[in-house]
Amino acid sequence: MTQLLLFQVLNGLGIGMIYFLLSVGLTLIFGLMRFVNFAHGAFYLVAAYLAYAVTAATGSLWLALLVAPLAVTALAIVVERLLLRHTYAMPHEAQILITFAVALLIQEVVIMVFGPLGQNVPTPAALSGVVFLGPYVYPAYRLFVVVVTAVVAAALWLAVERTKLGAVLRAGSESAEMVGLLGINVSRVFMATFALGGALAALAGVLAAPIRGVEPFMSAEALGIAFVVIVVGGLGTLSGALVGGLLIGIVQSVMSTLWPGGAQLMVYAAMALVILVRPAGLLGRF
Amino acid sequence: MSMERRTILKGLAAAPVALAAPGYLRRAAAQEGTLDVAAVYSLSGTFANVGTLLNNGSQWAAEKYGSVLGKKINYILLDDRGDPGEAVRKVQEVMTQRGVRHIVGCTNSAIALAVQKEVFARGGVYVQMAGADESTGKDCNRSNFRWPVASYSAVNATVRPLIEKFPNAKKWYTITGQYVFGDSLLTNCKAIFAEKGLTHVGNSYHSLSDREYSGYIATALAAQPDVLAICNFGNQTLDVIRQAISFGMKRNTKILAIWSTGLDQYQALGPDNCEGVYFGCNFWHGVDTPGARAVAEVVKAKTGDVPNYLHACGYAVVQVLVEGIKKAGTTDVPAVIKALEGMSYEGPTGLETVRAEDHQVIKDYYLMLGKAKGAMKDKNDFADIVSATKAFLPPDKTGCKMT
Repeated sequence: MTQLLLFQVLNGLGIGMIYFLLSVGLTLIFGLMRFVNFAHGAFYLVAAYLAYAVTAATGSLWLALLVAPLAVTALAIVVERLLLRHTYAMPHEAQILITFAVALLIQEVVIMVFGPLGQNVPTPAALSGVVFLGPYVYPAYRLFVVVVTAVVAAALWLAVERTKLGAVLRAGSESAEMVGLLGINVSRVFMATFALGGALAALAGVLAAPIRGVEPFMSAEALGIAFVVIVVGGLGTLSGALVGGLLIGIVQSVMSTLWPGGAQLMVYAAMALVILVRPAGLLGRF
Repeated sequence: MSMERRTILKGLAAAPVALAAPGYLRRAAAQEGTLDVAAVYSLSGTFANVGTLLNNGSQWAAEKYGSVLGKKINYILLDDRGDPGEAVRKVQEVMTQRGVRHIVGCTNSAIALAVQKEVFARGGVYVQMAGADESTGKDCNRSNFRWPVASYSAVNATVRPLIEKFPNAKKWYTITGQYVFGDSLLTNCKAIFAEKGLTHVGNSYHSLSDREYSGYIATALAAQPDVLAICNFGNQTLDVIRQAISFGMKRNTKILAIWSTGLDQYQALGPDNCEGVYFGCNFWHGVDTPGARAVAEVVKAKTGDVPNYLHACGYAVVQVLVEGIKKAGTTDVPAVIKALEGMSYEGPTGLETVRAEDHQVIKDYYLMLGKAKGAMKDKNDFADIVSATKAFLPPDKTGCKMT
């Protein structure tokens, strides 16, 4: 039993990294622009379906990893320039409504183009086996996703802490008005942030496609998990998304042995506990 | 002023008659030249993908028949948006305001169970495709007829043949959806395990919204089962299969998906995942019977491809209703119900019979085995049939007391 529980903790870390990747785009946008981007799940969905289309046509997930985030970034920029930009002076409900509408629209378009049934995205042959970690078995592809996520997390941390854009982002999340008064084009920064959030959601979508397959309602999981993770970890903080993701992953995994029927429930129970004890999230601040 | 008032009063008196008359005329027209058949499907909401295809199957069947006893079939779609309450409201409305008495379809068991009560209360006849045992079990009623097999049959038509094929497979692990349908699959499994002296090495429940199964699979792997029996439905079945395979479970364990819709799920999994996995199905397009050919013809004309379970199921419920009406020689509901009881017809799986005691259609349920990509004869040839069984509880054991 101990060996199994130990595996569940390790497995939970793996799930947690995937959950972090699902959430980081959402928290970035919230940190700067102060609203929950409901189109987050839709960007994830579009990228996953693009991965399906590209792998069906060319057999290469690597090509999809290149194409999908670029395409979704373009989509995010279009959404931001065309729709969101006009709502920044309005209360945040406007941004929520617009992104929710975009999400519904995108989902229906996906169903129109690809049909309502799920499809398969094959795992790249090189990663389709298992690896042996001591006494444990773990899918090679999941390990690959964990590694990629770790690299992305490191790159993001470097970008936020060490680059000018990162400094602007951090400053903007404290006071967007002040940043504007300092002569920086806040509108451009918002666009770049929204695009980056979209790109990260897209990366998650492509990487998740071989694990989950693609189906039109898969965005529900992305948005649901991302929301829980960033609330637990702290809205707007990258390290919060990481901590939140890992915690949720471990809770879910360990519970699936201790109380399998309640594993999902315990995820939300953990969120409720965190909100009670630290309303701003574990690493968040209001 | 008084002239105006009298005119208004006359107008008011005439209004109800004017309103009622078209309705009466409509009803009269319905009785003469057309037969209204209402179809209850979800075209939006999370089951929209299922509902859309079921509706297609039913609508195309109605078009193919065209008319019955000289009356043109008027297909009325009731979109319940995935909500049983909405379904009941719409059925109520169409039965009371338009006098419809012939109803088909459901997108899930919750909707079917709610609608079948309503149709019975209002004296209609209802042919549907619920998966829950209760529909022709303890909740059975005279108006209600069910085409696909339910959980007892699905489990017995898959687990028993698998035990015969692998007599040394003693240790079984189950992953079960913690809802009524999942539980009924599990209960039926446990009954067979007990009877055959097999070891049920463990069960993991999961919730209706779960998508991450790695924890359950790790627990299953630790128990080292010979067979993993999956007791859930829909996308959750696919998720468990995909993730179990990714953890290498196929090497030492047979995977059995007791309740599968066949072709559309095979397409969603892809041949590499399907290979070597056992599936239980209500319909397979590869089975060549006159009834299956009729469905295949209709679907090919509309889509250019072979039918999947949803097409066949949607088609079958209309077929049963129309064949019942033809046999009765009238659209009068009590006569149709009587004609349906014990009726045999060429259905999508071959010769099918409506059992009189509980109105369950007696038909085959298939155990299928996924084949390697290289062995596929065409793009739809994902699996071979291992066995076809009619496994049903005797009527007195189903809990059905037909009034």
